[in-house]
Amino acid sequence: MTLRAALLAAALVLPLPAVAAPRTTLVVGMAAQDVGRLDPHFAVSTPDRAVVAWMFNALVRFKPGSMSPGDIEPDLAESWESSRDRKVWTFHLRHGVRFHGDYGELTADDVVFSLRKSADHNRSAVSGDFAAFDQIEAIDPYTVRITLKQTVPSLLGILTNYGGGFIVSRKAVEKLGDAFARAPIGTGPFAYASLTPNQSLELDAHTAYFRGAPKLAHISYRFLPSNASRDLAFENGELDLAFGMQDQTWVTRTRRNPNAIVDVFEPGEAALLHLNITQKPLDDIRVRRAIAYAVNRPELLRWQGADVSRQPGSVIPIGNLGYTADNGLPQHNLDKARALLAEAGYANGLTIKVIHTQLPSMLAQMQVVQAELKRAGITLDLQVVEHATYHQMIRQDLSPIVFYNAARFPVADIYLTQFYHSRSTVKTPTAVTNFSHCNAADAEIDAARTEPDEQKQLALWQVAQGKIIARLCAVPLIETLQAWVRRADLDYGFPLKGSLSLGPVITEATHFK
Amino acid sequence: MRFIRAMLRNPTTSVGVVLCIVVVLGALLAPWLSPHDPAEQSILDRLQPPGGEFLLGTDTFGRDVLARILWGARISLVIAVTSISAAILIGGSIGMVSGYAGGRFDLLVMQVMDVMLSFPSLILGLIVVALLGPALLNLVIAIALTAIAPFARIARAPVLSLKQRAFVEAGRALGFSHARVLFVHILPNILSEVLVMGSLWMATAVRTEASLSFIGLGVKPPTPTWGGMMRDGFENILDAPWLSIWPGLAILVLVLGLNMVGDGLRDATDPKLAGT
Repeated sequence: MTLRAALLAAALVLPLPAVAAPRTTLVVGMAAQDVGRLDPHFAVSTPDRAVVAWMFNALVRFKPGSMSPGDIEPDLAESWESSRDRKVWTFHLRHGVRFHGDYGELTADDVVFSLRKSADHNRSAVSGDFAAFDQIEAIDPYTVRITLKQTVPSLLGILTNYGGGFIVSRKAVEKLGDAFARAPIGTGPFAYASLTPNQSLELDAHTAYFRGAPKLAHISYRFLPSNASRDLAFENGELDLAFGMQDQTWVTRTRRNPNAIVDVFEPGEAALLHLNITQKPLDDIRVRRAIAYAVNRPELLRWQGADVSRQPGSVIPIGNLGYTADNGLPQHNLDKARALLAEAGYANGLTIKVIHTQLPSMLAQMQVVQAELKRAGITLDLQVVEHATYHQMIRQDLSPIVFYNAARFPVADIYLTQFYHSRSTVKTPTAVTNFSHCNAADAEIDAARTEPDEQKQLALWQVAQGKIIARLCAVPLIETLQAWVRRADLDYGFPLKGSLSLGPVITEATHFK
Repeated sequence: MRFIRAMLRNPTTSVGVVLCIVVVLGALLAPWLSPHDPAEQSILDRLQPPGGEFLLGTDTFGRDVLARILWGARISLVIAVTSISAAILIGGSIGMVSGYAGGRFDLLVMQVMDVMLSFPSLILGLIVVALLGPALLNLVIAIALTAIAPFARIARAPVLSLKQRAFVEAGRALGFSHARVLFVHILPNILSEVLVMGSLWMATAVRTEASLSFIGLGVKPPTPTWGGMMRDGFENILDAPWLSIWPGLAILVLVLGLNMVGDGLRDATDPKLAGT
């Protein structure tokens, strides 16, 4: 027997120290009863937004872990250029990008189809973002040209891996029809495998992914709407990653777990009270000012917790390009609130019926606001309805006050246009989310969009914020950051600082250590 | 008096009566017993454990749990009493008229009642509240609707035998109207049975209200309800378990008390158990 053979025999006979292979299945717990629509152009709820980002790509993307406009990098497009007036943009696609399953290679036809779909309000929930698009055309199988009616502050922002920027398979959409929303086909690192309603969504690794096969083989996206159940499942090791609570108590307790890492990251979702300036009694500026003075933002911050929230200073989120806190926003003053109410003829207080969601986190925030306004004599009579019904009813202009939480691409134009431009007023053909019927700064918002001088553009956005606050179309309340928890051995593959999909982006590099 | 004495001789019933009296007194005296306003938030005092200034602790908004339980008892009792009274009135009348009239009318009415009985009370309540919206009056309507069919059945059965009795036939022979025969001569003879069931159904009403509030279909915030408190507390079960435990115990005490009283009433009115 040779030495080599003897060693081999010994190796087979002697017990070896156990070396566990790294796990390749990621189990995620999400605060949802079920998924809604996995068609990325309709994925507007947090549970849907978080998961579609793992299945789709866009022409460009935020560098994983970031949502800074300065970190936009190539994704399905290798390169791009624009005309001197920035109205014509040409994108050159990567070659050899494969869709999931048997849906073949991505071509310019799919990109044109996807962007036209995003711009069509019958086939997309984000068509408003594409209002400035004139033409989207395929020059050749790997080149797409976009022509704009007017320049927009950040075209790349609209085309990132968020909302309408996701590229779908034309063949799959046409073949699957409505079923596409429950079993979508993209080019991302993970592909739809199965969906068990009210239980879980299963994803398999897309081995032909153009950035290389993912290190994880499978993702199980489990629906656990109860915070307590999700916490217990994580503590028991049944989950590797879970949607957390935007609450200081939760963060502090979870951080004590040595096997857990709490990720608190951007964007801050801005919560505002949108006041319908056309409806009684809110058509009286004194009543709106009374509400603004009654709101106690420092108290809200203390309640939510400093680690997961921050105090806003304007009607657009902190960190948006163009944000300014120098705008004359009324600060908490109960005496002034009461005096204004008395002046407006409501010395004995007033009651306003408000439609609000059952969603525990938003309902809790609203209850704090309700108590704050009550101290000034303003009673909010909450009509609490199911979350989808709430979205439907507030878009039907049925609530004079709308509490709304949102994060958008961090350039002032998007938020200002969607929430405060008269074109976006609810119940109009071009409606987006202008619940207040605000029209205080239309001219500035429009002028800033096409302003080539960056300084002038910033100044216009700041004037717009001042005018909206002077009219009190909305009262800022609080900004809450995203909070998730993961097992200490789960490595995203990048530092997580922000994610516009409102959840950690799981990429081909994500793995267990 | 003999009836009440017979009832209270049963120690279980006495305990039930005491439990119910405690809850009723707590609800009636809530404005004086509550150490704090049940709706007033104190963010600095959020999630305080039981003890000290807050005997039963505070919730996530810094509201006093004891105050909310005392005020919540009012909601539970108001809903239980009004919904079951309405059910007795409507269901009892339907059952009496149906049994008295007999024939096809009786058949039709009882089939409708059977359909209503086929729905579990929580499901029927859930459908009604989902359709009408969560509000105090709608909760009363929902719970009353779930209890109408059982009371119709309970009232009808004795009427079927009573209407054959000589005193009823004598009344008819004297030319009394049907309404007079029903409500003056028959009603007093079935009232005790209906009231016994009423006390037992009050416990069901308390449970149904708590269940609907627990799933978010209860009275609007910030009105305190025991079911709503349990639901809110469940969100913080790992950090502040008392938020769910105290309202849960309150529901247990009231439901237990009402069931004990109901059982005692039933035993006291049952001739087979008389003298035992």
